[in-house]
Amino acid sequence: MSKDDFLSKVLSKAKLTRRSFLKWSAAVGGTAAVAGGVPEGFKQAIPVAFAEEEGKWVPASCWHDCGSKGFNKAYVVDGLPVFQGTDDTVEDKPNRPQLRACAKGRAQRNHLLSAGRLKYPMKRKHWEPGGGNKELRGKDEWVRISWDEALDLMAKEMLRIREEHGNKSVLCVRPGEPTERLMSAFGGYVNGWGEHSGGTFSAAWHLGWGIPFSELENDRLDLENTELFVLWASNPAWSRAGIPMYDMTRYKKNGAKVIVVDPFYSATAQTLADEWIPCRPATDTAFFLAMAYVLLTEDDPEKDPLIDWEFLHKYTVGFDEDHMPEGANPKENYKDYILGTYDGQPKTPEWASEICGTPPEQIRYLARRIATTNKVAFRMSPAPARVHNADSLPQAVMTLGAMTGHMGRSGRQFGHDWGHSFLAEGYPLLVGGWMLTPTSYVNGEPFENPLASGFKGYFGAFWRNERFEDDDVWLINYNELWHALNIGEYTVGKDKKREVDIKMIYHVYNNKMNQFPGTMESIEVHKKVDFVVTQNLFLNPTAQYSDLVLPVQSHWEKYGYVRMGYRNQIMWTSQVMDPYFESKSDSWISREIAKRLGLDPDKVIPCSFKQNVFDHVAACGVIKEDGSGYKPLVTITEEDMEEFGFEGEPQEGQISLKEFKEKGIYHIEREKGDKYEHIPYKDFVDDPENNPRNTPSGKFEIHCQSYADYITNCGWDEKSPIGKYVPPLEGYESTFEDWENKVKGEYPLQQYDLHVLRRVHSTLDNAPWLQEAFLQSFWMNPIDAEARGIENGETVLIRSRYGKVLRNVTVTPKIMPGVVALGQGAWVNIDEETGVDRGGCPNVLHGSVSTGQGHMGLNSCNVEVEKWEGEPLKYDHQLPPLVPLKEA
Amino acid sequence: MVKQYAFYFDASACIGCKTCQIACKDKKNNTPGVNFRRVVEYGDGGWVPHPVHKELLMPSNFFAYYVSSACMHCEEPICVEVCPTGAMHKREDGVVLVDESKCVGCRLCEQACPYGAPQFNEESGVMTKCDLCIDFLEAGLQPACVASCPQRALDIGELEELKKKYGDVNAIEPLPDGQYTKPAIVITPHPDSQKSGEGTGKILNPMEV
Repeated sequence: MSKDDFLSKVLSKAKLTRRSFLKWSAAVGGTAAVAGGVPEGFKQAIPVAFAEEEGKWVPASCWHDCGSKGFNKAYVVDGLPVFQGTDDTVEDKPNRPQLRACAKGRAQRNHLLSAGRLKYPMKRKHWEPGGGNKELRGKDEWVRISWDEALDLMAKEMLRIREEHGNKSVLCVRPGEPTERLMSAFGGYVNGWGEHSGGTFSAAWHLGWGIPFSELENDRLDLENTELFVLWASNPAWSRAGIPMYDMTRYKKNGAKVIVVDPFYSATAQTLADEWIPCRPATDTAFFLAMAYVLLTEDDPEKDPLIDWEFLHKYTVGFDEDHMPEGANPKENYKDYILGTYDGQPKTPEWASEICGTPPEQIRYLARRIATTNKVAFRMSPAPARVHNADSLPQAVMTLGAMTGHMGRSGRQFGHDWGHSFLAEGYPLLVGGWMLTPTSYVNGEPFENPLASGFKGYFGAFWRNERFEDDDVWLINYNELWHALNIGEYTVGKDKKREVDIKMIYHVYNNKMNQFPGTMESIEVHKKVDFVVTQNLFLNPTAQYSDLVLPVQSHWEKYGYVRMGYRNQIMWTSQVMDPYFESKSDSWISREIAKRLGLDPDKVIPCSFKQNVFDHVAACGVIKEDGSGYKPLVTITEEDMEEFGFEGEPQEGQISLKEFKEKGIYHIEREKGDKYEHIPYKDFVDDPENNPRNTPSGKFEIHCQSYADYITNCGWDEKSPIGKYVPPLEGYESTFEDWENKVKGEYPLQQYDLHVLRRVHSTLDNAPWLQEAFLQSFWMNPIDAEARGIENGETVLIRSRYGKVLRNVTVTPKIMPGVVALGQGAWVNIDEETGVDRGGCPNVLHGSVSTGQGHMGLNSCNVEVEKWEGEPLKYDHQLPPLVPLKEA
Repeated sequence: MVKQYAFYFDASACIGCKTCQIACKDKKNNTPGVNFRRVVEYGDGGWVPHPVHKELLMPSNFFAYYVSSACMHCEEPICVEVCPTGAMHKREDGVVLVDESKCVGCRLCEQACPYGAPQFNEESGVMTKCDLCIDFLEAGLQPACVASCPQRALDIGELEELKKKYGDVNAIEPLPDGQYTKPAIVITPHPDSQKSGEGTGKILNPMEV
């Protein structure tokens, strides 16, 4: 068959079935249930050849919360996306690289058209107002219902619950603005708070060092000056797809040295590392204290200068007793803690080595290497800070940075690695999307949840304040959420608990059952309440345990989306295809529920989706030439508004509306040494008197009382004002029953979670192509495997204090002995008979336990692993897809 | 006129992210089990006691790297040689293609190819393989895999020109020695890359390739 023949065949097939519903039926097949994980239509589809005149490229959104950004587009033939492409809108060069998408972005067509997509509203067969048979949640049958029936029964049950139990009985965690607006108008809802991304860096940086997350990293062009990169538990090859890893590779090829410290010989280490130094999970603080000890004891300002004393004295407080902040106990200084002056324990490399598993001479070597290299960029992922009792880690890290002076200077940085793409290298040069406006409706009225009055949006850890204790503020920490709801009591502050009795849980585009620690307890909670509603694209685990499931549209099916890239790109993606079966947008759903609750839908959702996209486009800004602020990016004329059907004011910008819509991306070209080369807190380092940090002392606080007080007030732990090593509840030490005599306990291995290439948290876990490309692995060292009679590829049972998980093991020397790892985000799949998770979800192993500043403390957990004697697991791509409804 | 199209692969930049594999899968709409481009991880390493602190284990002889491989569009393609119907053929520009109307699905080419490039499509009953995205090439675009690579580890060009630019390595472990089929590929090795046939490591992701 010639190219023309098969192209015309595909086109004629598509044209026959133009109406959206029929078209989808033709494209993905009615039943769509075939072994192998791919819908019928996909299997039989013939590849479509590219022919410019037949189809068109449409900029296509990739909206997932991976922290990176890539640009995608879809080649659309007669309304069907037939394959994807990526950024080729500019010539590719280091000063203005194409924003190429990753494997996950490239699998979106496959994901959005896969058999698992929700098509219709569904009700759990045995649900009745009040709950019906609640035990059946997770295993009941689904019944297809109409939108009217779904919305009517939802509104009715919401009104009943509000009348009988009040708004404080409704839980809705970070649902997204259309739902936030609805639930606020409804009278309020219980929300959650806590840091699940930045770990303890969150409050430590804000309070101790006065560093906001927009000052994480030097500009990517400035880092071309760096001589040595130390990547600590930082694996951009897996967790920062795209430009960050491309840049690291450039630096390396241009001569920079790279040292990777990690329990895993990661893809980043394989590709870039000159040296790999393994360190056990959750023991990093000890390693840092020992490096400080090496510098303190070996420093000789004349013959062997290792410490930048000038930096310490000029920019910090709390390092030694002569430089303490006002009112602090002089004995509580960092130097004397390191030397063991008062606690009798010098923090020597030998002391640390016993804990972290790194030989003492390597600790000494790394400390000296960092101290004696002119330009060091130290990048730690927040993973080691997502550990129980890890509140001291950022302090220990930053103090080493201050001791070596690698801060606020060209080619030199110390701390947290890449944050979210738009914050990764300093203030953005292009702004847009939700970053810009107080509500995501650009011209909408502000709103407020009456049960979190005065608070807006996302509640990261550093957001907590004394008002959390007010009677009308109902925010539960993520980490204890499931346990708190199970026992009916949550922590509001130090020695303060509050009773809570949740009757309704409303999940909107999330998977909290899977993604918050304590999945087993979460399942119990979901079986207790009266009503669980999930709004999603797929029947994820949270949806599986719901009573009502509402199918939503993806960004490929909506008018458009404005999103920032990294510092130098902004994107406007457009609608690729018709809405999938009966799916609706979140804002439509909010409006319809509002009507049925007796609320004004125009107040809940203030404008049309399309108009709001336009408002976002109009609001996009580009940095002014002198860097003093932003000016409009997009030129908009009266004709544009008429043609596209928008309302607004004409404006002058850098790119026309039509060109932006067609290309979907705008880049800023950079030059080395240009005025946008950003170095965080350089102003402070250049002139500390006139640019003080936002801390009580105006300096970097190595001794930080406000940080210690903050943690005390959270209500879970007490904390020293300086960075001290406190073993976590489940770390290395706790793998022993008798630490002194080194007798191992019931759970002798340390398990931690990796961000894997297969998915973004739990999103995309069910994308067939990604399932095939990236098996959901469980990694174990050959020494540990051999000791348990386990061979590569076998199914093993992983047990913790909280749950049991099955996985097929990858036996590999790449992971440290004594340490095992699972990819985070795998969908829990509890076997009803055994209570064992066949899906490989790490949160089954983790307890619902809060710690420190309310950050997630799950990145070390104690487990035992044994060979599974039951039926071996198939790999996920070998299983039939999870199809929501078995249709005739 | 291009005499011999060839891929370029930079093993020192590849991070095994499989964007190329997924981009290819998407372009070709391939079913599970059929992957015209695949990414192999090769390496080894072990743990030995520390010379002084015997209870500590130290990594020893560690190395690992990735190889992204598709059809090599060989200068002397064995698949063409063994094909009994003439379905497998080599174009003037060097691209090796299957004429599906002539293919009888005997799978001899699959057995013969040392790179696992020709793959059998259960649905259509014929062989399928990388066609270098000739539709893209004809429109002045790069093949899906090349254009997708976030690490810029892939390129396409005229074999002789790529050789001038990047050297003449056409095989590293775990790829077979290039002398038999003369693969049209130019490779920049990873610093730890081992010579084909002289490797000490093993394939680390056998279930994924």
